[in-house]
Amino acid sequence: MRYPEPILKLIENFTRLPGVGPKTASRLAFFVLKMNEDHVLEFAKALVNAKRNLFYCSVCGHITDNDPCYICSDTSRDKSKICVVEQPKDVIAMENMRGFNGLYHVLHGAISPIEGISPEDIRIPDLLKRAQDESIKEIILATNPNIEGETTAMYILRLMKGTDLSITRIAHGLPVGGDLEYADEVTLSKAFEGRREL
Amino acid sequence: MYIKKILLKNYRNYSSLELNFDNKVNVFIGLNAQGKTNLMESIHVLAFAKSHRTTNDKELIKWDEEYAKIEGSIQKRNSTDILQLILSKKGKKARVNLIEKARLSEYVGNFNVVMFAPEDLNLVKGSPQVRRKFIDMELGQISPIYIYNLSTYQKVLLQRNNYLKKLSIKETTDLTTLDILTEQMVELAAKIVDKRLQFITLLENWAKGIHSDITNGIENLSINYKSSINVSEKPELSKMIQEYYDYYEKNKEREIYRGVTLFGPHRDDLELLVNSKDVQIYGSQGQQRTVALSLKLAEIELIKTETNEYPVLLLDDVLSELDNSRQTHLLDTIQNKVQTFVTTTNIDGIDHKVISEAKIFKVKNANIEY
Repeated sequence: MRYPEPILKLIENFTRLPGVGPKTASRLAFFVLKMNEDHVLEFAKALVNAKRNLFYCSVCGHITDNDPCYICSDTSRDKSKICVVEQPKDVIAMENMRGFNGLYHVLHGAISPIEGISPEDIRIPDLLKRAQDESIKEIILATNPNIEGETTAMYILRLMKGTDLSITRIAHGLPVGGDLEYADEVTLSKAFEGRREL
Repeated sequence: MYIKKILLKNYRNYSSLELNFDNKVNVFIGLNAQGKTNLMESIHVLAFAKSHRTTNDKELIKWDEEYAKIEGSIQKRNSTDILQLILSKKGKKARVNLIEKARLSEYVGNFNVVMFAPEDLNLVKGSPQVRRKFIDMELGQISPIYIYNLSTYQKVLLQRNNYLKKLSIKETTDLTTLDILTEQMVELAAKIVDKRLQFITLLENWAKGIHSDITNGIENLSINYKSSINVSEKPELSKMIQEYYDYYEKNKEREIYRGVTLFGPHRDDLELLVNSKDVQIYGSQGQQRTVALSLKLAEIELIKTETNEYPVLLLDDVLSELDNSRQTHLLDTIQNKVQTFVTTTNIDGIDHKVISEAKIFKVKNANIEY
């Protein structure tokens, strides 16, 4: 079936979004036609604003509309700790935890030769520069517990060995509130390997 | 365990079939292209929810039909289980005692089968890959952590090969990343080899005795794990990790030059020796066949130790390929222990009490007489 050009364009643009297929895209496009004009304008403006006014913080690499970002410029935070994560989304997840009051460093990726991502491509040099600051005492490696995340964590550890920084890695294993009987064997064996004395 | 009864509906060339089996030996006799192997296959499919001959389930459904159904009642030590498998063009459903299993992994394992078909001779003659697959399949059934380690190893290997390629064409010069990938790989490599060595020891133990029985004590079978590191006197895990480390360190230049990982469990092999000679090179056809058979029979014993019950043995077109004494010893070993299915075109050549007492099914153009 042929759609008029404007709606075809709209559908095409929705399809580019992650998780949106052609069916959902056309449903969204027809919904936009029904919205009143103010709301459509607001939506369009929000899209453009988000793109224009947001950039990466020059210190930590988190998304921000001010440089340095709201976390880096918060004087009440503990500036001796840096938590290293792969994506801005991970910062949000950590912040929701509310248990960490230090600073972040967003790498924007993880080392993966297959995808052509090497250490220089993911803000590791920036991290090294930041770590030279005397006030930094601890680096917490919170990259994902998969091969690429693990490679990245080990790489950073290797570079920082020999400094008097304390380097830590977040634990992995059983989820909180879970039942042992529902855990898969691999997770269970990882949790077992990482057991600690009480 | 043994299979008491099987029901087939729209399976391959069978529209509807019900067979009651003997708990000892069952023989399917018939000319070529009558449906003997299809019957064997249906028992295999009932056990593994997939065929050993094809990866396309649609081929199992009778021409012009919508679905196929296999149902079997499995007698175990303390229970009788009804297994049902429905194959349709949309997918398959598996039930155990009328309860549908959402995951096939919950279904597979309820009925253990060991199959010995002509293509299994490749276990001895074929490439190292075939033997590694044999070990990996067997270990995988017993240990999910082995599967995890193996697949993680393969992912790291892929990354490492990719990086070595980059180093070899001088797209990058940073050796730290290579070191890190090596560090990740050696630990997994050692864990994989450690498990494999345990498995080989068990397998060899069983296979040795069986092989000696089949050959009247003339041939002595031994199995060696061939690895790039020294594994002769079963080293500790930490020692293997160290050895792999040293190995990669020593061969770093060569690997960078070649742009690929040259050593590791993905290149290891099994060495099968009969009277201290490599059967793959020096063995006759018959010897190679006997070794493959010994390994399969050892597999039966391994499953027995794991599950406490003997699996069902399927011998597809192999009995007639063994000489008289090997046939006799094979049939002696399974006698009264393992429920066995045999296909053959002609029974007259096989002279053994087991066969004369066996239940005979004559297969002719999808009709069965017994």
